[in-house]
Amino acid sequence: MTDEQHPGDADGSAVDETAAEERSRLQDRLSADSLTSRRDYLRVMATVSGGLVVGSVAVSAGVLPRHGDAAAADVQPLKVVDRLRRGQAVTFAYPTEHDRAIAIRLQDGTLVGYSTVCTHLACGVLWREDRGAEGELYCPCHEGAFEPREGAVVQGPPPRGLPKVLLAERTDGSVWAIGTAYSDESRLHAACRELNAKDSGVRLGHVACPNSARS
Amino acid sequence: MAHPADRPEEFRSDSALGAAAPWSAPGSVQPRLNRPVADRYPQIRPTSGYGDSRIRRSGPGPGAGTDHDPERSAMLTGRLVVVLSVVVGQLWALGVGVDAWMQGHTSTAWWCTGFEGLSFLIALAAWRFGPTDH
Ligand code: FES
Repeated sequence: MTDEQHPGDADGSAVDETAAEERSRLQDRLSADSLTSRRDYLRVMATVSGGLVVGSVAVSAGVLPRHGDAAAADVQPLKVVDRLRRGQAVTFAYPTEHDRAIAIRLQDGTLVGYSTVCTHLACGVLWREDRGAEGELYCPCHEGAFEPREGAVVQGPPPRGLPKVLLAERTDGSVWAIGTAYSDESRLHAACRELNAKDSGVRLGHVACPNSARS
Repeated sequence: MAHPADRPEEFRSDSALGAAAPWSAPGSVQPRLNRPVADRYPQIRPTSGYGDSRIRRSGPGPGAGTDHDPERSAMLTGRLVVVLSVVVGQLWALGVGVDAWMQGHTSTAWWCTGFEGLSFLIALAAWRFGPTDH
């Protein structure tokens, strides 16, 4: 409002008063907004609860990438190394170039392969032969550790065992990666599952996989 | 002589009839304000109503400013506790579901999703169907 419209003193003060009242009302409203009441908190938490349902549906429907889920076309045999001596380990990428993996020959000659993506927060897992009885797969991020035979968690925050990479050794000593498993899935079960998937049940028919409680 | 309304001692009731706690009893602590409207404003006839130009606002009346339903606040806290517990349970179920799915147990993951849905319904009920607020 301009002075021209309200030249009189009395009018001017009236305008001032209205403006002041308006301002104080606005202030009241703003300060009321900045308080989170229990009722607001209730509404927020109910909304969070709904968000968790949506997240859970997404997880079950399969939005997260999962080791062991590679499309059959991706899971081609890959030659990892010509020869792997006892106590040696070699890292490679399988089934895609973004999936870091490791092949280890334990001291007793057993050949094992794992994804090296930690199941906790996806840090890189390292092979540490000096840890544990036969060495351990060790995650430096939060000191998680996995035993080398089945990839089970022996220490730290990882919630699941390391997913295995299925390895095979040819008569010439070369080591091949031939498949991937889910977290904590047995090699036999993973191999059977992938064979079934590749074959689409045409040649083999659907073989009942061992421990097929897994669905 | 002062107006009767300014002599509150005459209107103080000694009988401790009201069993309600003093802080929850409706009305004013000043008994003279608790008289019926006709006593407080003898000039206003029962027939005046809101048409009476002297009545500018209906006023708060007896009971204003006190808690009408003292349990309402505790109930709100209770509902909040229920919803918070539900959300904690849902976070746990989400963890279980993700683990199960990563291990290939897809059906377990769907069971967890069902649990999440039921939990959400409980949270929704606790949020929406509280006692009516003023
Ligand atoms: S990321 Fe490996 S232990 Fe946390």
